[in-house]
Amino acid sequence: MKRREMIGAAMTGAAGLAAAAAIVNTAQAQTPPPAVAGVGTLDRIIKDKKIRVTAEVTSPPFGILDRSNQPDGSEIATARQLAKDLGVELELVQVTAPQRIPALLAGRADVAISSLSITFDRAKTVMFAPPHGALSIVIAGAKRVNIKSASDMAGKKIGLTRATLEEATVPGIAPSSAQIVFFDDIAATLQAMISGQVDAAGMSAFAAKSVADRNPKAEIENKFTVRTAYYGAAVRPGDFDLLQFLRTWVFLNKHNGVLASIYQKYTEVPLVELPVM
Amino acid sequence: MKYVFQFGIVWDHLPQLINGAWLTLRLSFGAFALGFALALLLAFLRTSGPKPARVAVAAYVEVIRNTPFLVQLFIIYFSLPAIGIRMEAVTAALIGMSINFSGYATEIVRSGIESVPRSQIEAGQSMGFDRMQIFRHIVLFPALRTVYPALASQFILLMLGSSIVAAISAEELTAVTNSLQSTTFRSFEFYFVATGMYLAMALGARLLLHAFYWAVFERGRPAAAGWAR
Repeated sequence: MKRREMIGAAMTGAAGLAAAAAIVNTAQAQTPPPAVAGVGTLDRIIKDKKIRVTAEVTSPPFGILDRSNQPDGSEIATARQLAKDLGVELELVQVTAPQRIPALLAGRADVAISSLSITFDRAKTVMFAPPHGALSIVIAGAKRVNIKSASDMAGKKIGLTRATLEEATVPGIAPSSAQIVFFDDIAATLQAMISGQVDAAGMSAFAAKSVADRNPKAEIENKFTVRTAYYGAAVRPGDFDLLQFLRTWVFLNKHNGVLASIYQKYTEVPLVELPVM
Repeated sequence: MKYVFQFGIVWDHLPQLINGAWLTLRLSFGAFALGFALALLLAFLRTSGPKPARVAVAAYVEVIRNTPFLVQLFIIYFSLPAIGIRMEAVTAALIGMSINFSGYATEIVRSGIESVPRSQIEAGQSMGFDRMQIFRHIVLFPALRTVYPALASQFILLMLGSSIVAAISAEELTAVTNSLQSTTFRSFEFYFVATGMYLAMALGARLLLHAFYWAVFERGRPAAAGWAR
């Protein structure tokens, strides 16, 4: 490695960063507010005869890969129903849990249907349709781990998945001596719990049941319920046409029982009364 | 697609990003030191050791270099607990990175050792040096000088590859960035700044490695030796 090459490389790198920063500054100066950003997404979907929907497939029973590695689960079925009711083709955009909202905002997907619980923080960034399902966040762990309430998490190692409702709720109720660690997808969090790398983990009650059923030796049980939440489809800020369609779509499919039957089929429990939004 | 960049939120979280970058640097230099020490030993065994040791090292190098780093990490962090070996995520990351680096570095150091002319080794033997002395005084130094650029590049790859350890919950720069973007939803801004930090660290590390090369291999070297380059 010659010194001249080194300095050259450093200068090229610095120049590249400066150029990129300049592009960003220009973009900042010229970009109009996002409220008008996505006008006509519904029109575009109907014209292209294609809707792109996020698919998160490590989150049973909402999204999984079936035996032939195809996306399946209640949210995938919901996305299929949406495309069918729109009369367009469905393109599933595979994402991990933390990518659900970024993929939507970046325009990779038109709508996010990936068990996104409706929260204040998310509502500041995306627009939610009325809820089409409900889930409970629980702390689950092996039988030998003694946790009965939030305060019992003191001194324990708790695994959570980034960008999930459990990430948003569990740290707030955990004692300060609880050690919370984060994983990038639900599969890794479950693996950490089964292998004993964490004492317990936060997840949906369905995920806890699914992992307990598939790993009877690990003796996984629900410790306590953190929160019950409602999840719905999300669209980019400004996509009011698509949002209005989704409102109508939820109303009709609630009324004709389609949402309830999808929910029942995949979760094996009846759908609770969904509040009006 | 129109998007309004908001970098203010990134500066609010800068201390967390710097913490993450600090762990990235510690993991990288730690794995470099451990992996390089292991590689020296393995390269010695590979070139001068008994036959079974040579075969064993060759097998080790092939297994490490022909399997994904992520899978190696998962084995250390998720599978070893099944046989009672349990460690913190950062420890698992350091061990995984060291082992992975040692596989590549062994092969690099070996090629350096084999580039040392046979006549120099014979000169050492005729002066009554034993095998270890020949390795230390005659072979190793020129060998490392020859392969230094390759080792330096491998170090940069190691540092950039460290982003993978986010998958086992080691809170280095990529993991911190993922957490911040997932709670603020400002993914462009955070990934953009993280990219700049990686670039700065990589270029800084290259400058440092270059200075090290100059201090160890170039300084005080007689000008006449220049022909050998």
